Amino acid sequence: MATRSLNDPRRQVKVGTERVYDVANTEFPGNYPGEDHSWNLKKFRKDLKVEIQRLSRRSVEFDLVGVDASIANAFRRILIAEVPTIAIEHVYVWNNTSVIHDEVLAQRLGLVPLDVDPSQMEYHNGVATDRNTLVFRLQVACERRKGAAREETDPEKLYKNSNVLAKHLTWVPQGEQESFFADHPPKPTNDNILLAKLRPGQEIEIELHAIKGQGNEHAKWSPVGTASYRLLPNIQIHRPIPPPLAEKFQKCFSPGVISVDPTTKEVKVADPRRETMSREVLRHPEFEGMVSLSRIRDFFLFKIETESAYPPERLFTEAVTVFRDKVKRLKVAAQALAVEAAQAREGEADADADAAMETD
Amino acid sequence: MSEQQGQSGSTAPQYVPQRADMEYLCADCGAKNEIKPREPIRCRECGHRIMYKKRTKRMVQFEAR
Amino acid sequence: MAATDAAKITIMKGYEEGYTAATFALHDETHTIGNALRWMLMKNPKVEFCGYSAPHPSEPVIHLRIQMYDNASAITALTDALENLDQLAIAVNDQYRTSLRRGAFERFEEE
Repeated sequence: MATRSLNDPRRQVKVGTERVYDVANTEFPGNYPGEDHSWNLKKFRKDLKVEIQRLSRRSVEFDLVGVDASIANAFRRILIAEVPTIAIEHVYVWNNTSVIHDEVLAQRLGLVPLDVDPSQMEYHNGVATDRNTLVFRLQVACERRKGAAREETDPEKLYKNSNVLAKHLTWVPQGEQESFFADHPPKPTNDNILLAKLRPGQEIEIELHAIKGQGNEHAKWSPVGTASYRLLPNIQIHRPIPPPLAEKFQKCFSPGVISVDPTTKEVKVADPRRETMSREVLRHPEFEGMVSLSRIRDFFLFKIETESAYPPERLFTEAVTVFRDKVKRLKVAAQALAVEAAQAREGEADADADAAMETD
Repeated sequence: MSEQQGQSGSTAPQYVPQRADMEYLCADCGAKNEIKPREPIRCRECGHRIMYKKRTKRMVQFEAR
Repeated sequence: MAATDAAKITIMKGYEEGYTAATFALHDETHTIGNALRWMLMKNPKVEFCGYSAPHPSEPVIHLRIQMYDNASAITALTDALENLDQLAIAVNDQYRTSLRRGAFERFEEE
């Protein structure tokens, strides 16, 4: 568990009136005489803290404490761009007499999040098979509803299928897919995404092929709405705030950040997470020297929102898996380089030995 | 915006027998109209002078991007 | 997906004898790995200098420069750093799952 105090000045990115100070991490070997800052897994494990704060069906918030920004950023970037999902890629339009153009409709269809576990599919390598491609059909025609009142203006009551929604996408099983996806048939994660509007006589007939992909190729494959972090705000009160100024002090911060005791007017930091760092308190000369603002450099408040097939709590684990896969591939390559280098050195040594023999 | 191609992907120009009269839809009343070469463009039903060409019956392929 | 494992990392010309200083080209990688790896290499006391760059924003290549003290090998430093990053990822994931299992967090409904 994290043992270091939030008041450790080395953990703080100081926030001044017009600028920030001590932005970069300085804890590297050789930077502080007599201190060992070399990589130490045991120490890292001891100082690390990962704690989930809030979880819903569509988002998760957690603290990641004790890692460098480069690591937190790697996970954030992987969440956005390298965790795979399934999305519509090929659109075959047989008929579309709606007012929305084929290419615009195709683009909208690509963005519909599909409820298919990406681990159950392979990447498309040029040949479509039942292991890498899902087929959907969109076949909707609009017609007048008989018996609608003459003065009716609501299109829902006047016409059938006036709105084309994500739920109109019907999955067409191919090959073994019928049994493979039997307990969880592919469908959009949200049934009520509006794709197009129709009027009587207009119709849409489209075949769609969905494949596995990653956000770095197109954002439609990104599993997250946002994956972001911010640093924990830290408010240090150096001297007691004079009771007559307590309320004014409280108002300098976001609601809920500062608590004022109703009788003693004692001021305390109640919930620093809610602070937006407006720096309002630094504008008032009466508070000069009483308070300092900072953010904790290695205290990341992560928030992941998703509309994908992944439950939100699974996404971070997936990101770590992707990270480890990348590292593993690089390690294999680096080890191959090391072997190559060693062989080259041996070869040189042999050549040297041969040369020595000849001179004898 | 996106790559577009007809159902027949072959590049060789295929011979398509050209029908002399094409069917168009009236922009006002929606009636089908056959327009022959050198004939005034006018709807037989309502006299409207704007016509729409019908959508191709071929499949059109798009990338969803 | 593109580069084969053999060509995943190449050593650029101009490296020093015994690879005590070398620039590596990591193919099909981005800032994601570049910055994390740079940080982990800087945590190694035998590393004199480590820096990375993305030479062109539209080319998926990262250049990683490593210079070593005491004639140590940059390749060894690189493999060590990769191993350490893996250990780090395991530790982070372990703690995340422990927290998830413990269930001591607020559950809420959206909308």
